[in-house]
Amino acid sequence: MKIFIVIPLFNEEKHVNNVIKEVLNYKLPVVAVDDGSKDNSFNVASKFKITNLRHEINLGKGAAMKTGADYAFSKGADAVVFMDSDGQHAPTDLQKFINKLLDRDCDVIFGSRNLNYGVPLVRYLGNKFASVLVSLLFGIYVSDLICGYRAVTKKGYQKIKWESTGYGVETEMVVRTARTKSKYCEIPIETIYLDKVKGVTILDAFGILLQVIKWRLTI
Amino acid sequence: MIIGLQIVAILFSLSMVYFAVHSYKRGELNGMEVTGWIVVWVGTTIIVVFPELLQTFAKTFLFTRVFDVMVVGGFILVISMVSMSYLRTKRNEKKLEELVRKLSLKSK
Repeated sequence: MKIFIVIPLFNEEKHVNNVIKEVLNYKLPVVAVDDGSKDNSFNVASKFKITNLRHEINLGKGAAMKTGADYAFSKGADAVVFMDSDGQHAPTDLQKFINKLLDRDCDVIFGSRNLNYGVPLVRYLGNKFASVLVSLLFGIYVSDLICGYRAVTKKGYQKIKWESTGYGVETEMVVRTARTKSKYCEIPIETIYLDKVKGVTILDAFGILLQVIKWRLTI
Repeated sequence: MIIGLQIVAILFSLSMVYFAVHSYKRGELNGMEVTGWIVVWVGTTIIVVFPELLQTFAKTFLFTRVFDVMVVGGFILVISMVSMSYLRTKRNEKKLEELVRKLSLKSK
């Protein structure tokens, strides 16, 4: 099975170097998609022998993930693993995704953080509320709805290809997984919080909540 | 009171005509569009100056006052324009996203 690692990248010059360096230990093809960074992220990523794609303007994480996945699947990938570029995701967990993909049991694999691994309590509660809401509306319970560490097979991607360009992408993937009755599974992952101001803000969360209601009516 | 409101409405309509013509001169609106806007704002001015023109319309649709007709009409106009604007923005966003992603993939 040909597995590609897709790393959406936006203003992460501080962390991206270490992330790519550690991911390269797994000898898998890596695609970094710079989503119109204003800092030096693209140049840092370009130092490595990986595929570097660049959005000329910032479109959002969802669009960067889609560009990376489209590229990987067009180059013969059977599956892709998405990983954040801010160092939040431990590259050591990659092996878990690879093993699960090789089992060929699921088309979508969601990474799931838990409190034991240091997720801030507010985020944990917000995340749980969202999981329960999505479960009630769509009949799918994913314990960590907005975790960006996840994998999808080619078949799964064709079924759940998302429209969201921003942070709603993770939730939309879950919603589409439910709607298309795709096979999914979850694996526990470690999370490291390096930068408190980055990631999903309360405003983003509110926007995602509105989108969930929209998806209930449209998907 | 009503005269005060009418003066404000007339000044607003005339300034909107000015902005329409200004946008036309800058090439942001074409001839058809600027004509459409001028018709809308001149029409508004005429109705504001002679509100009795809407009296029959108000009675037909059971409005108590002509002022109510104008408020409801204004709301309908604003809501429809916001909806159109929203749809256009969404369409442009989609086109922009496709273009940026296409260029990015083409570079490899």
